[in-house]
Amino acid sequence: MAGGQERVLRRRIKSVNSTRKITKAMELIAASQIPRSTARIVANRPYRRGVERIVVAAALGDPVAAAKLIATPERVDVALVLVITGDRGLSGPYNNGALRAGERLVNELTSRGTRARLYCAGRKSAAFYRFRGVAVEEVFSGFTDRPTFEDARTIAYRLAAPYLSGEAQQILLVSTRYHSAGAQGVEVQQLLPLVVPDVAVDATAGLHGYVEFEPDVDELLASLAPRALESEIFSALLEGAAAFHTSQQRAMAAATDNADDLSQNLTRVMNRARQDSITNEIMEIVGGAEALRSGK
Amino acid sequence: MASLVVEILTPEGPLWRGEASALMARSTVGKFTVLAQHTATVGDLVASVVRVEAPEGPVTFAVHSGFFEVAPGPEVGETRATILASVAELTSDIDVARAQAAKERYEAEMAESRDDDGARYALAAQGVARAELRLAAATRRGALA
Repeated sequence: MAGGQERVLRRRIKSVNSTRKITKAMELIAASQIPRSTARIVANRPYRRGVERIVVAAALGDPVAAAKLIATPERVDVALVLVITGDRGLSGPYNNGALRAGERLVNELTSRGTRARLYCAGRKSAAFYRFRGVAVEEVFSGFTDRPTFEDARTIAYRLAAPYLSGEAQQILLVSTRYHSAGAQGVEVQQLLPLVVPDVAVDATAGLHGYVEFEPDVDELLASLAPRALESEIFSALLEGAAAFHTSQQRAMAAATDNADDLSQNLTRVMNRARQDSITNEIMEIVGGAEALRSGK
Repeated sequence: MASLVVEILTPEGPLWRGEASALMARSTVGKFTVLAQHTATVGDLVASVVRVEAPEGPVTFAVHSGFFEVAPGPEVGETRATILASVAELTSDIDVARAQAAKERYEAEMAESRDDDGARYALAAQGVARAELRLAAATRRGALA
């Protein structure tokens, strides 16, 4: 019956509107997190650059000693893969992007005869691999919205152990990098052995020519490697958090727009249904009155 | 004019930056002092109290291991000393009661995880070391590194 249809539509509009309220709230919350998380990336930058500079200085200062820690090994039997995603969903392509890149990387490693051991940061990646029945070495979660350096240190510590003992020959990272508000992208990066950044000589810091090392490059690199690992993981966590909030804000804004459209369309359909039922009733009344009159 | 600019950087952001007449710290090789015109050097830092002789008086920091880099700055005659510490704080910012509580908490954690796989124990031991350095820095306020 027409009235019933109207009631169903009214209920759907109500549910769409309340969903819209939720997505709108999530959009605003995510938007409020963006400036804070990008400010942390900016604050972290001098430190990260500094660590990079020291790696470069050490690599240039004593290439022979550096070769042991910096060169990519010819044969990698076991690689550790750290995948960084968020703890929560409803964030557009953020989680899936990293997970897909992670899967591609693992497939590639496997085809080259390397066994990949997975480490997950963020509940979403853990859930993804659990669902697929893929073994995960360790899961770190509960901090991806607002990571602290302590979190990065814990992850680095757990990853460094198998590397330093020789069980694994390579540590790879899959994470979403935050380039700007409009550009984020998933990147795969080698954490250990250390990678010497392309910017070999920084123009402002005059670390060219003779540099003294205290202690020797050998020893320095041994203590530098875990610190550089922490630094890179921390910056990836920070950028991941910023990318997560940006992606969630965008996804929720789109969801809110969709809810608006849906609610508008449903309202139109409902109004038409109501009008139809009114017209019908009038027709029935008129028809009944006609019948009564003619039957008199 | 020869000058020295000291910068103390942590992952959470720059902690301190300014001109100074000297920087005193400790690497695995030993204690050292950086003055203006110091030769370009890269090295590590052990957990210790770092002292900066700033124009407004000495400033001390609890630096929980890290690295340092001394290089000529962008200006003529300028020397730039950068300290990169994963954790560092101004001595004046240290909360003694909190550090004491943290020390006790980590010590309990150490005792508890003695038989574990080692990772938890090592992290707790690091925590104790950090708390001890904070206490040492705060109680010997102003003392030489």
